[in-house]
Amino acid sequence: MGDRSVSRPTLGDVEQILAALAQEGYIADREIATAIYLSIELHKPLLVEGAAGVGKTEIAKVMARALDTDLIRLQCYEGLDVNTALYEWNYQKQMLRIRLEEGSGRTPEEKEQTIFSEPFLLRRPLLQAITHPRAPVLLVDEIDRVDEEFEAFLLELLSDWQITIPEIGTIRAQHVPYVVLTSNRTRELSDALRRRCLYLWIDYPSFEKELAIVLRKVPGISRQLAEQIAAFLHAVRALDLQKVPGVAETLDWSAALLRLHRDHLDREAVERTLGCLFKHHEDQRVARGPWLDRVLAVIADAQRDGQSLQAALDRLERLARG
Amino acid sequence: MRPDFGSLTEHVVEFSRRLRARGVLCGPAETADALRALRAVNVLDREAFRLALRTTLPHRREDLGVFDALFDAYWQTGLAQRSEGQEDRPEPQALAEAAGPGTPSLRRWAEEAAEGEQELPGYSPVEVLSRKDFSSFREDELDVIARLVVAIARRIATRWSRRRRRARRSHLLDMRRTLRLHLRWGGEFPGLAFQRRKVRKHRVVLLCDVSGSMDVYSRFLIQFVYALQDALGRVESFVFSTSLTRVTEELRTRSLRAALDRLSQRVPNWSGGTKIGSSLRQFLDRYGGLLDRHTVVLIVSDGWDTGEVEVLRRAMQEIRSRAARVIWLNPLLGSPGYQPLTRGMQAALPYVHVFASAHNADSLRELERVLARGRVGRPRR
Repeated sequence: MGDRSVSRPTLGDVEQILAALAQEGYIADREIATAIYLSIELHKPLLVEGAAGVGKTEIAKVMARALDTDLIRLQCYEGLDVNTALYEWNYQKQMLRIRLEEGSGRTPEEKEQTIFSEPFLLRRPLLQAITHPRAPVLLVDEIDRVDEEFEAFLLELLSDWQITIPEIGTIRAQHVPYVVLTSNRTRELSDALRRRCLYLWIDYPSFEKELAIVLRKVPGISRQLAEQIAAFLHAVRALDLQKVPGVAETLDWSAALLRLHRDHLDREAVERTLGCLFKHHEDQRVARGPWLDRVLAVIADAQRDGQSLQAALDRLERLARG
Repeated sequence: MRPDFGSLTEHVVEFSRRLRARGVLCGPAETADALRALRAVNVLDREAFRLALRTTLPHRREDLGVFDALFDAYWQTGLAQRSEGQEDRPEPQALAEAAGPGTPSLRRWAEEAAEGEQELPGYSPVEVLSRKDFSSFREDELDVIARLVVAIARRIATRWSRRRRRARRSHLLDMRRTLRLHLRWGGEFPGLAFQRRKVRKHRVVLLCDVSGSMDVYSRFLIQFVYALQDALGRVESFVFSTSLTRVTEELRTRSLRAALDRLSQRVPNWSGGTKIGSSLRQFLDRYGGLLDRHTVVLIVSDGWDTGEVEVLRRAMQEIRSRAARVIWLNPLLGSPGYQPLTRGMQAALPYVHVFASAHNADSLRELERVLARGRVGRPRR
């Protein structure tokens, strides 16, 4: 693929990516920045794994913004087919053309050649990505949802960067896209696909990181409330839940609390906004229980006495498990 | 100070080799990537150096822990002790399968099952077997169970293919072919061409424990096996207690009662003790060819193994590595106070993708839900 990728822009170093990420309002740690940076530098696909809601999809968005290029997204689901992933013929346009050519005296073969040519092609994400005028970022979201066959097909595409359409022939990529694949690990991916990619695992954010995210993304929130929110989430994620809240839920919840003009957490505030964090009835029941009072007490004590935060966080974790 | 890339290269190669020795998926390609990555970062910055290797060498979350431990040991001293411990842990995995359209034959099965129950003659082993647990199923429950079993069977065994094939009539138009027809007929409209998604079926291998400890469930289990095979067609069924018997043919017969009759005659040690490990080994040795990447292995057992635990562990490991999915249904899982702590169950668990209970209609419903999770018919968002 060598000379096909001449036009790729490069970024100086990891620090620059960190800065680019921060500019885009994304709080990244060096691990994420390094992964994005190396994916661009080595021009290798980046496989991002982690639980739902930790910001896997954002990686691709940020990468596209940092490279100042377009983002093309392929959302995977079981039964994803060629018509949705690669291309489809534009049947309306084809029929119109057939109508227009009625009585033109051209043979059916000639007509067929016309209507099965590039102008009549609808480009779906994968074809879009390889025919893009400059190297785009291709996000293959939730790759674990497609079957092994499609995975194998994708692997082939990632090495050859060409697509064959029976009526037209083989289309080769002009510029090799930057690729980000995400997986929620509902299915084990093949070793072959893994080995083609650089690897990034994103965990739920640490207390400090989540605090920074809340402070940055929820304008007008007080530091006290933001700390309480981050500590609360820390305790929540240690619970045995059906659906563990991710960063998106944290931000929704923060915004909701702010809207209710709360400056600290109490039982009433939490109960009124429970739906932002807990999306299962059973989880809500757990959260409403006596656990809630204990957690709120630990958080309030820690903040009032200026205790060591780490000690308080450890106590919160024990609370959730015991 | 300038980094010495010569000796650094050697060290990275050696480090990769040690990762590989510990079971991390990491070969020369990864090593080459790591070296390229090191040229792109500031290697004098220890954290940058670590992250560059961490992004390029391991490829799965399970390997990150191995990487972290080895990184600290190796790059701290540069003279790490050599240890060749093999990490060998399969990771848990959820199912993502699709359901197909229902079959009418199951109603017949349910009716037959109910009928057979009333018509049983005097004493026979079959009768004992049949009555044992049947009382716990109400008549209407049986119907529910029958339907659930089919739904489960389909989730386990079918998936939509990406490919489509021509069809006489369906809800999917084949526009490509329609337009071609249209042209050929010179502008006349000859009708529509249809296509249909191919449904691809997994092969299912069913291994069913019929030993004494499973006795009370046997009736239910046979129904389960029968329904599964009836619904799918591509099921290979085995029963085992101290040894293994292939029963696919017996169950192929159309009547449930006849099947039960023949089974009890053929299977040695029905309701005897259990040797799960050696039974599974026997399966691998004699019928191992049935396993491939499209095979779902369904084991129904309570995990009470009176044989060698290591034999069971090894057999499970091999089954896991050769099959697409391993599902273990444990009827005891639903009973209060039961924890999967039998030594056999403990040894087998790490190699199981889905571990679920199967003792009543509710647990089957739950299983169906578990199997349905991750299955999405259209894109979300």
